Amino acid sequence: MKKISLTVNGKLYQVEVEEDMRLLDLLRDKLGFTGVKEGCSEGECGACSVIMDGKLVTSCLIMAFQAEGKEIITIEGLQKEDGTLHPIQQAFLEEGAVQCGFCTPAMVLAAKALLDKNPHPTDEEIKEGISGNLCRCTGYAKIVSSVKKAAEYLNKGGK
Amino acid sequence: MELKEVIKARTLEEVLDVLDEKGEKAKVIAGGTDLVIQLREGKVNPEVLVDISDVAELCFIKETGDFIEIGAATRFVNIKESPVIGKPFKGLQEAAGHVGSPQIRNLGTVGGNICNASPAADTVPALLALDAVAVIKSKQGTREMPLEDIYIDRGKVKLEPQEILYAVKFLKPQPGQGLGFVKLGLRKALAISTISLAVFVERGENEVIKNIRIGSGALSRFPVREREVEDFVKGKKMDNTVIEEAAEVFGQVLEKRLATRPPVEKDFKPYAIKGVFKEALNKAWQRTK
Repeated sequence: MKKISLTVNGKLYQVEVEEDMRLLDLLRDKLGFTGVKEGCSEGECGACSVIMDGKLVTSCLIMAFQAEGKEIITIEGLQKEDGTLHPIQQAFLEEGAVQCGFCTPAMVLAAKALLDKNPHPTDEEIKEGISGNLCRCTGYAKIVSSVKKAAEYLNKGGK
Repeated sequence: MELKEVIKARTLEEVLDVLDEKGEKAKVIAGGTDLVIQLREGKVNPEVLVDISDVAELCFIKETGDFIEIGAATRFVNIKESPVIGKPFKGLQEAAGHVGSPQIRNLGTVGGNICNASPAADTVPALLALDAVAVIKSKQGTREMPLEDIYIDRGKVKLEPQEILYAVKFLKPQPGQGLGFVKLGLRKALAISTISLAVFVERGENEVIKNIRIGSGALSRFPVREREVEDFVKGKKMDNTVIEEAAEVFGQVLEKRLATRPPVEKDFKPYAIKGVFKEALNKAWQRTK
């Protein structure tokens, strides 16, 4: 076991991790952030994506001990304390970009990572931004339009 | 072997000390995009894992004298977005931009791309075409070798257990030089390369191809230079005839090399390479202007 500290959604955690534990396992099983989904476990589907030090990463490809000192954002960190949804989540709901929902937490985070860096993305840039996240339900069209809508909300100062 | 110890290194010295002490029992992890999967499948079984992903001394892209040098733990995203590499060699940035997905490019490193020695590594053909040199360090010192010589076989590189790939470096672009890169995969994101090709050219007087270097991925057991094609093109005047003839030569080279491979490779690749080569050469040539 190894003791590490990391910040998840603004809160500092000090935890013991097994040597062979992945960040995905740490977030889900030890810390209870079950919005982080395990899909393919090979970095192909993107369902386990989180934002680490501002960058979108697949938590199934990171060993837990590597996350020492990192700042991580999961879907649980997006809505406000009073339960108000993040503008990206709101846009996903309004546009009907959610069907089975399994890809959604990571898809929303992919949108956040993109919009944090590029507040006015083109359709092509949105597609590139979510290219590491598979969705088998929506056909992506409504996801792309939600990201555009979310960009508008965010640029207006948040809905 | 069971994983007993994991170390988050912060300095190169720390990494070299661990490798010196633990030798073959230790394995270096950076982006983890290949290694974590291999660890879980039991394909690699180190006793000690040393994480170098946050060793600042290994994360850089800089000009040193006549060279551009890229630290081994530099992420693909940093190569893709670097202002240092320069327009003529944009092909290297395109290669980095073709790796995996945004998530993989945020994690994966150029050193990992080299040391994992996958035949389909995307940035390696570009580095081979740039005639890159591998800089290797251990507690005993530093040594350099042509990147081309670092490969032993698929998945195997010439690094001693005590050594680490520190950086790769290549000469800065000179007037008249250009690098083109083309990748063929089943889809845009997350597709393993079916063919990846990088072509470096240097334009001489009267449109002569003064120099050409071709690096290929997924056409051999590891990324290689395509010298037969280079030799055919070098010194000739750039025109459509030469391009067509060189593409034919490339096709024939692959027909021979892939003769015993499954039909999907031996029939498809010698044919597909012609188009890929023409596109990569044309891209490179345009960048020489």
